[in-house]
Amino acid sequence: MKLPAPPTAQSFRSPLHHPRVATVLGRWLGVAVLVCFLTGLFSHFQQESPAWLHIPTRPASLYRVTQGLHVLSGTVAVPLLLAKLWTVYPKLFEKPTLKTLLERLSILVLVSALALELFIGYLNTLQWYPWPFPFKQTHYALGWIIVGALLVHIAVKIPVIQWRKEPLPPATTDLTRRGLFRTVAGAATLVGITSVGQSAPPLGPLAVLAPRKPDVGPQGLPVNRTARDAGIDPLTASWRFTVVGPQQLSYTLDQLRQLPQNHSKLPIACVEGWSQGAHWEGIRIRDLLHLCGAPASSRVRVVSMEKGGFYATSELPPQFAADPLTLLALRLNGSELALDHGFPARIIAPNRPGVLQTKWVHRLEVLA
Amino acid sequence: MRARIMLGATGVGLGLWGLWLLLSVLEPRALFHLPLWLGGAVVADDALLVPLIIVLSVVVTHHIVRTTLLYVGITTLLAIPLLLRQGKGANPTILPRDYLRDWLLLEAIIIATGAAVFLFQRFTFNRSRASSDDIGGR
Repeated sequence: MKLPAPPTAQSFRSPLHHPRVATVLGRWLGVAVLVCFLTGLFSHFQQESPAWLHIPTRPASLYRVTQGLHVLSGTVAVPLLLAKLWTVYPKLFEKPTLKTLLERLSILVLVSALALELFIGYLNTLQWYPWPFPFKQTHYALGWIIVGALLVHIAVKIPVIQWRKEPLPPATTDLTRRGLFRTVAGAATLVGITSVGQSAPPLGPLAVLAPRKPDVGPQGLPVNRTARDAGIDPLTASWRFTVVGPQQLSYTLDQLRQLPQNHSKLPIACVEGWSQGAHWEGIRIRDLLHLCGAPASSRVRVVSMEKGGFYATSELPPQFAADPLTLLALRLNGSELALDHGFPARIIAPNRPGVLQTKWVHRLEVLA
Repeated sequence: MRARIMLGATGVGLGLWGLWLLLSVLEPRALFHLPLWLGGAVVADDALLVPLIIVLSVVVTHHIVRTTLLYVGITTLLAIPLLLRQGKGANPTILPRDYLRDWLLLEAIIIATGAAVFLFQRFTFNRSRASSDDIGGR
């Protein structure tokens, strides 16, 4: 039996495989990738702040917006990437020359890294990790590789991007260039609308493709790490909250409740994209610093009762410790903190990723 | 040309920085597996998803039907992990929906919308033909 000949670049007759179409879709995908990269970088620096970087505490919802955008742009990039790959698909069957071989290598890097990045990023929002490499480090490194390969790709393609004179070949189907763009924009919008509700609670009911509903969880707030996962033991009568500073302070839970309480309306915004606003009640960190004789602008280490894990301790940079919105929260949405939200006490601060809003706190250490 | 070379060189630099990050944090086992997963991502796109779209766009020529099927496809692609992991979340606040019901509902809405647009266009097309002089479409 004779097999049919493999396709060549000429087998694909649709004029929509034209470079002018690829340029437009490439721009859309490029914008999504850029937004995703910059918001991802911001999230990375939030968690691993280099000494030279001063992260502001306002706007209080900044991280909520940037991380919501990170997951949204990544999700929307899925249909955009598929559309872009579809337009340039005939190129895959062109005979390679030495000159195009290098270019193809850069495209292979770009496509493989971007496709895997979107895949592992999406699965991370479900907390599903079926691959044998660490998510966070790989996701971060691939981000740099994608942006690097994208710049190389743009540098190679600048003559094609700038070349607009040649008319498009005649249409062979009823789908026009505009029609294709409308279809792709529609797919991106559809995917966006059915997932953005995990970060924007008013759209929550529509978010059928989102792994979170922002109002589902104890006290109307989702949970990432439960008390059981964190190995939290039940509180005993001997439990004390301590502050280690110029003076040592030690409080029972009742004594903590007697200290001046303040209110903050702040969102919990997770690295995985979901977020939800909440009312918190507790003691200002700067009041505790004042009580122990430390300046309000002190760097503070927050120590949790969590057993193990990357986030058993966190550090509050001076500007966050001094902010009047930053609390050692004891109450959430009108009642005592649920165990899964960090009972008896947790940190809540403006413009910070959820993983740094340390739960089950039992000690603060003034560092400087 | 100079700008192009600068842009390309910056790109190579950033890419190498990413590669160095990978090499410095990943264990040998992970470094061995990562290229396999990268290759798998390309195969999934270039040997499965894009050919599927190509076949679909060749077989289905009516653009409303085609767009409807593409929308069903892309939303289903994103729904697959949710459906697979339903009930297996690390805690009850992860994947709290009935994703099977919601996915079926979403596809039903997409198909119903596609059908409505299809019928509407057919109706207005017939009317415009009937009201014009060239009855019979000639």
